[in-house]
Amino acid sequence: MRNYTPLVTLLLIYAVMIAIGQGIQGMWQPIMLVIFYIAVGQALNIFLGMTGYVNFGYVALLGVGAYGMAVALGYYTDLGLIPALTLGFILAILLAFIVSMVVGGIALRLRGAYFAIATIGVNEGIKYLILGGKIWGGSSGIVLSGILRKAYGAETMRFLSTVFADAGLIVVAILSGIITMYILNSRLGYGLIALREDEDAAKVMGINVRRYKQIAFVISCILAGLIGATAWTLKLTYVFPQDVFAINYTVEAIVIVMLGGAGTLLGPVVGGLIYALLKYYLTIAFPGMQLLILAPLLIIVILLFPEGVVGYLAKAARGTRFEKFVR
Amino acid sequence: MLKNVGGENVSKSKWLLVAILVVSTALILGCAQQQQPTTPAPSGEGKVETLYFGAPISLSGKFAEEGKASLEGMKIAAKWINENGGIKVGDVTYKIEIKAYDDESKKENVQSLIERLATVDKVKFILAPYSSGLTLAAAPIAEKYQVLLNSHGGASDYIFEQGYYYVVQTLSPASRYQTGFLDMVKAKDPNAKRLALVYEDGEFSRAVHEAAREYAKQLGFEIVYEKTYPAGATDLSPILNELKAANPDVLIGGGHFADGQLLAKQLAELKIDLKAISILVAPTFTSFYEALGNKAEGIAGPAQWEVGVKYSPEAAEKLGIEWYGPTQEEFLSAYKEAMGEEPPYQAAEAAAAVLSYAKAIEKAQSLDPAKVREAMNDLEFMSIYGVWKIDPETGKQIGHEMVIIQWQNGEKKIVWPESAANAEPCYPMPTWDEKEGGATCGS
Repeated sequence: MRNYTPLVTLLLIYAVMIAIGQGIQGMWQPIMLVIFYIAVGQALNIFLGMTGYVNFGYVALLGVGAYGMAVALGYYTDLGLIPALTLGFILAILLAFIVSMVVGGIALRLRGAYFAIATIGVNEGIKYLILGGKIWGGSSGIVLSGILRKAYGAETMRFLSTVFADAGLIVVAILSGIITMYILNSRLGYGLIALREDEDAAKVMGINVRRYKQIAFVISCILAGLIGATAWTLKLTYVFPQDVFAINYTVEAIVIVMLGGAGTLLGPVVGGLIYALLKYYLTIAFPGMQLLILAPLLIIVILLFPEGVVGYLAKAARGTRFEKFVR
Repeated sequence: MLKNVGGENVSKSKWLLVAILVVSTALILGCAQQQQPTTPAPSGEGKVETLYFGAPISLSGKFAEEGKASLEGMKIAAKWINENGGIKVGDVTYKIEIKAYDDESKKENVQSLIERLATVDKVKFILAPYSSGLTLAAAPIAEKYQVLLNSHGGASDYIFEQGYYYVVQTLSPASRYQTGFLDMVKAKDPNAKRLALVYEDGEFSRAVHEAAREYAKQLGFEIVYEKTYPAGATDLSPILNELKAANPDVLIGGGHFADGQLLAKQLAELKIDLKAISILVAPTFTSFYEALGNKAEGIAGPAQWEVGVKYSPEAAEKLGIEWYGPTQEEFLSAYKEAMGEEPPYQAAEAAAAVLSYAKAIEKAQSLDPAKVREAMNDLEFMSIYGVWKIDPETGKQIGHEMVIIQWQNGEKKIVWPESAANAEPCYPMPTWDEKEGGATCGS
């Protein structure tokens, strides 16, 4: 039975967040921080949550997406704003697609921990390719704000880096949610969950596990590329190789997925909310001490909800009238 | 039955663990709470108000050390201002408080913290986060809310080439790191014309040396050799052999600590004698001399600031500009008391940023960031950190000069500029053969 009602919950959460961000002074950037973490979790969840495979090279996809947009805006500025932006999104998707096909094509032949080991160097590899090959500005990165200001004017630049970048990220985040919901309801989703539980059994049942894993991997990676293009390049207006290939984003994404509940639609949303809000308010209340406080709190949440918060809620809601809305 | 018992045990120990974690979190929370600064009681006479300077600074993550030193520098400067009459605007006296948040050295955090400072805390004067990258992330948000952003840890020139009006700089930009050294060589020996550059291929060292090359050409130097090496290089001898063939008088180069030390070591091994060498970053660390021994004699390097600089009220008077802020001795002892060690340059540059805000606000007689920015255009003063003066159009620092340090007789001496120096430059530096025989600068 196809059930899309959990999307109602998802959209409701976004509506509340956007209302808070617009309504309360000083809350817009924190809300965007939350949505960034939700998006990062949502995109990773499509692969990690559904297949149980850990992609340690995840941040590399955000990085190449960021570079795709930066190259288009920085080197093809003369095309005009709309064509350059369109090219940016195309390049972000294309680069993420190529990297995910190559990495997935090789590493997905490995199973479990061996896959994780194979992907762990991807971000470092691409970083050193850009540094050593001196491509796309090499170690100097691409700094866009001056270029954009000169080409399109200060007003347009401000619009791009604030309103447009934020709106773009929200669209990508919601899109990731809708895609997750679609997969959960599709033959692909059932196949992925089967292979997550027992890959050999799934294979015997006639599921093309290699192909299924590859599809999930590519979708997850392309969404990550779009997050990099919007949340990093457009919003920050610069790209430095050391900055966009930092592994801590991969680790944070994994934490968010696990916290909320792997393989669920609302898991990354709840995980992102808990993680980002806790961190933000601890930073304000206890500057310098926040990580020391955050760590035990996260461990407590994981201990209390081993299947993630949403995994627990879904179980609790079973048989009640809320059942349809939580997944 | 047996299984059941086991399950109970597991769940019991799980709850125990949760309880331990809750207790420890509560303890940390309690400790952290105690560290919260208490607001000073307002004094009875006149109208005294508190003015907050915002600081998203790295207290954790990769810039944690630099961030903590910067924050302490800011606090010392704020304390000095408060003890010396505060900032007077009209008939109101403002006492400074630093409102600091930890950005964890991450660009996303910087943006939401700047917004919080500008809107919730209503702060109008922000001390930029540490490093060029984070300062660049902060700039669009500061510009959006029209609050001032004073860079004390972002040296890169490109920050100031993007057209941001509310961003100003307190430390010397990358383009001026090696220029002081070239001035010094020219002043000492107008005949030393053959310059070579060997530096790391990194964003920062590239910016430093490309600007130095152009400056050198203006001074009349002849560039006889220029080459970069990749970050993390472990052998520079192929490059240095080519360098030797080019027969330079003077060498500038380096990048980070390890490669700078390697450069010095291999110059010694290949016995490439030069009249003067200036290496980025590495020579400013004591461990540089510890590793190289008397091979380090005579090697120079640029620094934003050093313990022992001679900037003082008297030096300011000689130059005909105003002195503002604590003296070197006051700054040193306040920092040592708080942190238990000598201040690194990050503390001094952050302190200077706070002082520049105070000075500019008093000059503008207003708390409006636009007016204060305008007042900064022709503000010039000297503090422990040196001269503060910006280029009105870009906000780039043009008054402050890098100090040149040189290892002399096992001690790190400041040899340039003359207003900061505590020793004469050792020029030409001893040859490698002389050093093997035990020669030092000054012997």
